[in-house]
Amino acid sequence: MNEIGYSGEQQFSPDDLKDRIAQWVGTDRVPKRLNIITDTSDFYRVDYDDVVVLGGRSYLIRNNEREGRFGIDDQQKYWVKRARDLSDGSVKIIKLVFHERFEATVGGIIFDCYRSPQKEARILDLTRDHPRFMQGFSISDASNNLIRVLEFIKGKTLADAVLLLGKDHEDYFYNHLPSVLDEFIDLVQAIQFLHSRREKHGDIRRDHIIKDSTTGLARWIDFDFNYLHKENMFGYDLFGLGNILVYLVGRGDVTVQKLQQESSPALARLTANDVNIIFNNRVVNLQKVYPYVPEALNLILLHFSVGANTYYDSTEQFLHDLLEARENLNHG
Amino acid sequence: MNTIVPKNRNILIAVDASENAKRAVLYVKDLLVGLPGFHVTIATIIPRPPEDYFITEEEKNTWIENQNKTAQRILEDYRQIFIQADFREEDVVSHLVMKECTSLAECILDELKRLSCGTVVIGRRGISRKEEFMFGSTSSKILHTAKDCSVWVIE
Repeated sequence: MNEIGYSGEQQFSPDDLKDRIAQWVGTDRVPKRLNIITDTSDFYRVDYDDVVVLGGRSYLIRNNEREGRFGIDDQQKYWVKRARDLSDGSVKIIKLVFHERFEATVGGIIFDCYRSPQKEARILDLTRDHPRFMQGFSISDASNNLIRVLEFIKGKTLADAVLLLGKDHEDYFYNHLPSVLDEFIDLVQAIQFLHSRREKHGDIRRDHIIKDSTTGLARWIDFDFNYLHKENMFGYDLFGLGNILVYLVGRGDVTVQKLQQESSPALARLTANDVNIIFNNRVVNLQKVYPYVPEALNLILLHFSVGANTYYDSTEQFLHDLLEARENLNHG
Repeated sequence: MNTIVPKNRNILIAVDASENAKRAVLYVKDLLVGLPGFHVTIATIIPRPPEDYFITEEEKNTWIENQNKTAQRILEDYRQIFIQADFREEDVVSHLVMKECTSLAECILDELKRLSCGTVVIGRRGISRKEEFMFGSTSSKILHTAKDCSVWVIE
């Protein structure tokens, strides 16, 4: 058989695929022998230069993605492939099915986590055309594995982008933080949109926000993580949002070690209550380090401190306070 | 004999396999022993993981079966604590619910309402501040959100 496809999908001949590969990556890069894959169950066998055919489209597989963008450590993610869409030459991220289940430990608290292709597929549908979320679609391969085909977002993480703003913290605070907060508020509203539809992001952290260099907008990525929640379904997402806010206000992590290295006078003002409730080396009470951080904004940060008397139950509460603090920043 | 028990004498004890749940059961038994006119429902609510937690249907069915077996055994053990303290069989019933819960506290309060109970009894798990911060506390949520009922939190 010269044509490749399944279940009545569009068929591709090897010559046709080779022509397309030549068109998008160059004639000298066309593999001599094509390995065409319709069943991705064994993702270790989906390799560089293979062609994966999904729902009438063919994708030339390039490298495995590495962490920083997808996953946990700086390791290859064998189930996440960069690819070229041979229909239009666009770069895609293809996430194959990896049923991973494990116990995560954060701050000594153990909870059950798992990867869910279905969850990511649901969120891709839910957030179609939403400018604050990565875009893509899901499709089943020949063995019914739910594959996610994602638009590649070109750009830095928001965390990296922020570090380049301002000549020092004070300059950053007065001249850049207001617009950074505006962007963050939009991102929190995007998460609230998910929560209002009973979906968690599941893995909110600063390297899961990419500042899209095409649109200029920061966007959430990576929705396949899930955890078995306890009382508060969205508590872990909220914790992630809090950590990002502290990072943005501090223009990076303000750690006790960093302050010690700088022999900062703020050290004398800090108490055990002023650090992050989970990550005890990170200072949360930033007003003690940067006295110009206004009260309303600092009070939000303190919800994530060891000394907190109350915690946020919902994204609505967090957002409410954030909007108020942002408003105060205008009049400060 | 079927008598209508007033709502405030209709008590729901929400239990799981933990020691604090057992303390709640023993507390109610000691408090009510010898007092007529109370009806006790010992309830376990098993939060069912989302469908996508299970890789196969078989795995899901095994999980459900195991959870049900364990919960039924615990409920019967707790029920026997009352029966052995001379409570009438018809005054102590067990109740097992398995469903997806956005919040376990909300699921417990839903059952309280559905069963027309006027008192909910829970054992405090004694979770750390960190855990409460990150995942919330069922007893705190019940204390803060329960309406038209009494809440007993047993230490």
